[in-house]
Amino acid sequence: MAEPIYIFSDGILKRKENTILLETKDGKRHIPVENVSEINIFSEVDLNKRLLEFLTEKQIIVHFFNHFGYYVGSYYPREFLNSGLVILKQAEHYLNSEKRLLLARMFVKGALCNIINTLKKYNDDDQFAERIQSIRNHVENLILCSEVNQLMALEGNAREIYYSCFDRMIKSEHFQFGSRTKRPPENELNALMSFANSLLYTTVLSQIYRTHLDPRIGYLHSTNNRRFTLNLDIAEIFKPVLVDRMILTLVNRKQIKPTDFHQIAGGISMKESAKKLLVQTFEERLQDTIHHAKLKRQVSYRSLIRMEAYKIEKHILEDEEYEPYLG
Amino acid sequence: MYVIVTYDIEQERVGKILKVCRKYLNWVQNSVFEGEITQAKFEKLKLELQENIERSRDSVRFYIISDKTLVTVEVLGQEKGSTSFMY
Repeated sequence: MAEPIYIFSDGILKRKENTILLETKDGKRHIPVENVSEINIFSEVDLNKRLLEFLTEKQIIVHFFNHFGYYVGSYYPREFLNSGLVILKQAEHYLNSEKRLLLARMFVKGALCNIINTLKKYNDDDQFAERIQSIRNHVENLILCSEVNQLMALEGNAREIYYSCFDRMIKSEHFQFGSRTKRPPENELNALMSFANSLLYTTVLSQIYRTHLDPRIGYLHSTNNRRFTLNLDIAEIFKPVLVDRMILTLVNRKQIKPTDFHQIAGGISMKESAKKLLVQTFEERLQDTIHHAKLKRQVSYRSLIRMEAYKIEKHILEDEEYEPYLG
Repeated sequence: MYVIVTYDIEQERVGKILKVCRKYLNWVQNSVFEGEITQAKFEKLKLELQENIERSRDSVRFYIISDKTLVTVEVLGQEKGSTSFMY
């Protein structure tokens, strides 16, 4: 299966002899184009239209990240799976408030249930029993929400309870989670989480590109003129499973240390070595397989994300009702 | 599946073979490529190579390994190329 590549060295990226060439000060590296599914660029790379044309032909999406590891944007090649029907249906499910609410509720349900499952994994001597119960109550109350805003509020509430458990799940005295801060994150754990979340967002976006769905129409996150939102919706479900557990593992195993960070204006940013470690670990996690009960075979987490997109496609085509992935 | 390709090609055609392999696999040494590949892409690679070799003089070998985890690689001396996905 084609795999994503991550570029951390500065240089020139170009099309050469029907493949991709990365020219850096340390020399030239040919990248096997037939085996690349997406390109993630973290460094200063020059590229030209000829390369973009080539990448379009090969259906390769490019994600850009800035100096601090924040997602900047993507080169999203011309859609190759065109389906007017799916787009119409997607819009219908957005514009019809009942239909939108149904999907949005499923995303929140998936996210919260996976949060509960994550908490359970760290629930030695019943220390979180009370909080798990309170998040469960939130899940039950989802059905009472009659507007997406109320869903968001409920989710935010449950998330606060979840984050309040973090400091006890972390077994390293150097790290403190406190509360969730963004743009920029105010401490190390928040920096890790922001970086890993953006990796997840782009991974989901790349998988959506391989379906008929339009990533601009999301349901929990309001569709607007600015950005892709469907990938954010799907990512909510996978964050506790893929991102949060990975961060807790890395910190508890002391693979990530306080020296992996540096101060920036108003916040904290990760050093390049730490970013690379996170990319490596995240990629391994995506390639990890689990047994899929319905398909009766091993499936990687990356395929699972794609299947989530297929499930949404089926739902909007009114083929099969959507149920979020629980892990 | 994981494939290691080695080739012994006469000089006039060797550049052509190199270019074909670069599209599908990672260069690890002179005349050696390796990497993860799907069955379909592997068939494409073989077809492209077939078109470019002289069957009576050149030789290409494919070592096919069903799962990447079955390969352990040790290197003595210089690591010339790598199969890493981070650049």
